[in-house]
Amino acid sequence: MTDAPSLSDDLKRLEEIVRRLEDDTLDLDTALALFEEGVGRLKAAETRLNEAETRVRQVLDDSAAGSDALRFEPLDG
Amino acid sequence: MTMTEEAWSVSRLARAIKRSVEAEAAPIWVRGELTGVKRYPSGHWYFSLRDATAKVDCTLWRGAAAQLGTALADGMEVFALGCAGVWEERTALRFNVTQVLPAAAVGAQAQQVERIKQALLVDGLLDPGRKRRIPELAARIAVITSVAGAAVHDIITVARRRWPSVELLVVNSAVQGEGAAAELVAALGIISRLERLDCCIIGRGGGAREDLAAFNDEALCRAIAACHVPVISAIGHEVDVTLADLVADVRAATPSQAAEFALPDRREVVARVEVARVALHRSLRVFVSARRGRTERTRDRMVAALLDQVRGAERGLLGVASRLAPAISRVVDRRRARFTRLAAQLHALSPVAVLGRGYGLARDRSGKVLWHRADFRPGEPFTLTVADGSIAARVEER
Repeated sequence: MTDAPSLSDDLKRLEEIVRRLEDDTLDLDTALALFEEGVGRLKAAETRLNEAETRVRQVLDDSAAGSDALRFEPLDG
Repeated sequence: MTMTEEAWSVSRLARAIKRSVEAEAAPIWVRGELTGVKRYPSGHWYFSLRDATAKVDCTLWRGAAAQLGTALADGMEVFALGCAGVWEERTALRFNVTQVLPAAAVGAQAQQVERIKQALLVDGLLDPGRKRRIPELAARIAVITSVAGAAVHDIITVARRRWPSVELLVVNSAVQGEGAAAELVAALGIISRLERLDCCIIGRGGGAREDLAAFNDEALCRAIAACHVPVISAIGHEVDVTLADLVADVRAATPSQAAEFALPDRREVVARVEVARVALHRSLRVFVSARRGRTERTRDRMVAALLDQVRGAERGLLGVASRLAPAISRVVDRRRARFTRLAAQLHALSPVAVLGRGYGLARDRSGKVLWHRADFRPGEPFTLTVADGSIAARVEER
């Protein structure tokens, strides 16, 4: 799990970028920067969509064992 | 049809009756009073259910009878779950019971549920306005259920088909029986410590009505309401709605449906990404071409403005030029007139002019003017200038 923006964020931002690019008052540098960002987010969205395997893990509470951590164990589906 | 050749055997009739009765028989709950209760050594129970006007014979087989919480007795008011069936040997209708609940217990339980519901209502926890929306594209979902049950398997299956990039975090909990409610509450506590969670599914596979008691627990309902992410309930019981269902943000009929509510269909999202891609490229093209058009229009206007300026300057220059020559002539004329005047004045003062009046000017060889008689030395040459020129002369005597 990374802190990268979620697919949902990517898609929302993409739709916002398209809306802003349709604004005629934008200067060219901003427009190009937005476009580049849009292309990046498209790639990220596709990468996420292509993550093939659903990860299933069981959450185990270790607080009973004196630690306040949670453990994660793969759980076969 | 001839009577002798086509007549049915009795057993065929019995089977036909049995089939037609049992084909339609879905389990139903029946409320009635027990009568003629008998327990056989085999472990099976036989009794009848009756109300004021009707009576139905029932059987409770040994396996189901073992689950009974209380012994059955005549006169007891009960809820019985069963299917209509036919005892073939006598073609007698039997209600084959699988569960019996004393109505008194059910009544008390129903009253308790109603009391909790009122408390939740008063506290606003059943307010439709507080229902949260499930995030559109969930990346991380918590699932609270029994890892031994079918629900977790169903959810994983739907997730893999629908939205493979999701991460499922399963928190195991008993979902029925003593202590189940407390375990479910503890599981929600674990959920509250998970980060970046999009929503939570809490539920179980299908179960009998009294197995749902944990999901009517007040503490559980309040924990669901307090959960930091939207909760989808999937109690797995189409008919009965538990209090947990009422408090949850979304109620799903089954765990599979909960997974469908929680997760988008990958194909739809792929299509949405594709739409965004097309829109992105088109919007840049539109942007550039609009900008190009505007640049061209600006350039044209600039060139036109420049030409206007040049023409203006040209016109001004021509005007100035046309005024320049007369102005210069005037200056020259004025200078010439002044010069003429000065020349005349100069001329009037010129010694030569004096000579014109008959005077002569004597100068020695060095050009020095010989003013006095003493300046002339006998035998010395000198120059005498008169009006029309000079002559060489020599002093004879003084």
